[in-house]
Amino acid sequence: MAVSDPITNPKQWTREVLRLSLVLCFALALIGSNALAQSATDQNLPKLPGERALPGETGGPYPDPLEPFNSAMFNFNVDLDQWVVTPVAKGYSYVLPQPARQSVNNFFRNVGVIPRFANNLFQLHMYYAANELARFGINSTLGVAGFFDVADSWFGMKQHNDDFGLTLGHYGIYSGPYVMLPFFGPSTVRDTVGMVVDGCMNPMAWLLPWYVTIPADAGSEAIDAVNYRSLHPNQFEEADRYAVDLYGAVQDAYMQTRAAELKRLAQ
Amino acid sequence: MVAARRCGGRPIVGMLAAALLALAAAQIMTVGPAWALGAPLETVNQVVNKSLPVLRDKRTPLPQRRRQLRTLLEQHFDFADMSRIALGYHWKELNVTQRAQFTQLFTAFIENAYLSKIQDYSGQDVNILGENSEGDGFSRVRTQIVQQGKQPIKVDYLLRDMNGDWKIYDVTVDAISIIANYRNQFNRVINDQGFAKLMADMRVKQQQLQASMGS
Repeated sequence: MAVSDPITNPKQWTREVLRLSLVLCFALALIGSNALAQSATDQNLPKLPGERALPGETGGPYPDPLEPFNSAMFNFNVDLDQWVVTPVAKGYSYVLPQPARQSVNNFFRNVGVIPRFANNLFQLHMYYAANELARFGINSTLGVAGFFDVADSWFGMKQHNDDFGLTLGHYGIYSGPYVMLPFFGPSTVRDTVGMVVDGCMNPMAWLLPWYVTIPADAGSEAIDAVNYRSLHPNQFEEADRYAVDLYGAVQDAYMQTRAAELKRLAQ
Repeated sequence: MVAARRCGGRPIVGMLAAALLALAAAQIMTVGPAWALGAPLETVNQVVNKSLPVLRDKRTPLPQRRRQLRTLLEQHFDFADMSRIALGYHWKELNVTQRAQFTQLFTAFIENAYLSKIQDYSGQDVNILGENSEGDGFSRVRTQIVQQGKQPIKVDYLLRDMNGDWKIYDVTVDAISIIANYRNQFNRVINDQGFAKLMADMRVKQQQLQASMGS
């Protein structure tokens, strides 16, 4: 398709250059903020006499320079969940039985193979990358277009999550400040850059014009979100029940999860 | 919540409750005979083994079962250490009375978070996988909760040697430390609104949990 070829189509070419330079700017800002943010977390206070050191007792909250924005977005997401996603998910789960919803979830995981494959490759995790490719082949055929995760249930091949945020982290780029994104949820500056890069890996972004891909992306994200919510109906209520400060609980869970993923990939 | 779905696809919430369920669920020993067990592993093993019959026993009245479990928690968990770690560097800014008040309230909150959850037990199994030393006097015991048709949940117990008696001071669920999670929450509230506000907020949550338990 001549219209969509980014090399021959000047409009699209400009768009790609703009995208890439945006990414580079972000990356540079990250490296700059690296030293600053890290010094803020190193708080080593002297021991009181007779007190033994305990892991984490000198820890403080995460540096959160974007807190005013993040708080607003957090409240937006909570409201969105309460007034839009949950009611829709309730109706949706009434119509579609649980196994069907699990299949929809499998379908979305299957089509998301490219970033997982590519980033495992970028980090030289050849086994995981090959595994992702094989899983995609098996689930797209035997698993009926990805609706059944037979690679796991029949062959015991687990999905190996990976994304460009983790690739950046793997090569030593600091996460930068925490960001709460509208619709997408918790992230950091680095992981937001990663998400944009992973989005560019979607082949549809190159084959179809933007006025088709953007609404299509948004639509599939929305279906994915509603479907996910229908599979985890009490998640928010449970979180709120055991949290004293829900914003802090979500923030910490995200930061700890990402740190654990990076640690897993380093092994 | 839309937001929560980006956290590794695992519900990030009710983590504490899920973690503590591990204490109560059935378990399959995958290690050697009892005399070969390290002390930290033996502690976790005991907690799991003793809470299991209480959880399975649906005939005994709920308040009585809760009392039995509360005793078990108080025996093997070090709530004083948990409270100290949960406050991070703010602990040192508090006077003796404030520390005692916080420890008492946080202990009640954590205990109720667990005890309000026991009706949800539905026969999950726990595998004790092994233990790793975390330096002199510290240890990590790795377990997993196995559920039919779901991915197993990794639960680690962090223990500390208190003069030969190993006590649990933190629990991690899918690599998320529960106490570190509370520390971030508590520090945010203290930094923005002060210690008194933290106590007030926690008291409200504690009362909600208490009310949800009926008695």
